Amino acid sequence: MDEKELIRRSQAGDGEAFGVLAERYKGKVFSLAYGFTRDRAAADDLAQEVLIKAYFSLPKFKAESGFGTWLYRIAVNHAKDFLRKNKRRQKEVSIEEVGEPALTAENESPEEKRVKEGRREIVQAALARLPEKYRVILTLRDIDGLSYEDISGILKLSPGTVDSRLHRARRKLREKLTGRLIRQGGEHGL
Amino acid sequence: MDCKRAERFLLRSLDGRLDHENRAALEEHLGKCPTCRKKDEEFRLILDLMRPQTVPEPLPYFKDRLLAKLKEKERTAPAFLWVKWAHRAVALSLVAFLLFGAGIFLFQPQESRELSQMERFLLQDENPLGEAASILDQKRAEDRNMMLIFASVGDSDVSRRYRP
Repeated sequence: MDEKELIRRSQAGDGEAFGVLAERYKGKVFSLAYGFTRDRAAADDLAQEVLIKAYFSLPKFKAESGFGTWLYRIAVNHAKDFLRKNKRRQKEVSIEEVGEPALTAENESPEEKRVKEGRREIVQAALARLPEKYRVILTLRDIDGLSYEDISGILKLSPGTVDSRLHRARRKLREKLTGRLIRQGGEHGL
Repeated sequence: MDCKRAERFLLRSLDGRLDHENRAALEEHLGKCPTCRKKDEEFRLILDLMRPQTVPEPLPYFKDRLLAKLKEKERTAPAFLWVKWAHRAVALSLVAFLLFGAGIFLFQPQESRELSQMERFLLQDENPLGEAASILDQKRAEDRNMMLIFASVGDSDVSRRYRP
């Protein structure tokens, strides 16, 4: 069944048709949510909430943009709410605090893995401290790897604004990290 | 090329959005400028560290859990709708009440101004002679004069006192 038909049926209240749509987009929505939360359970909750919100908002979907872009827009707005609610908790986490360990490459030595993991945590903490608009654009582009055109459609910004905001966000992040990674990384640092 | 322009090109090159000619110019600058070379390394390292090494899968039974939640939400939707509209109704009532109060406060009718003596005579058809009319009705001249003298003594306006 093609996407238009699935959308039409979902708009009419067919939960099963929406289930098929959700199955198609769950990976992208979850990946976006994980980019913001860096926590599997929290990302899962966020992705479910986004899809529920999308289901109940479907009657308002006018197909002016692609379904994926529309869904991403809902996801980004929901993620922003999540970030605002969790702002206080994030501020209490120190930059050196180590969170859930991520999987590392097999060919790295334990020491290399430890150093890289420590740096990753520092970058994440610095990212969490950036203003929301910079954090969102860095997550969409540098973490989720969305194209400029997609970001432009999701955030309703001109490609020029996407470009300048992204560059400003990268500069801000580097400013926040200057010095920190050197201390953490030793001879492997910046 | 100056360092400011090099940084702009460098940021663009991270996305692979730098054309061949500018890329060559950037490479040339980086070969000569250790500060910009360090900056380039830092940006690339940060980009690498920002990306999670692996993105895990959603938790098991994602779709089943989602559909169960949708059914649950649909079942309780009327209640949610009522609560949603009840909140709005309360807010709207409050706004209407405040607007009504503000309207009353701002547009209350002005208190009637006390009319001057001349206006009273003209608008309310009062007799300008007032009490003096009954005095002037007196037949006898000496009675009339005496009553006018007594009336003018009680009058606070000196100019209106009787002067024979």
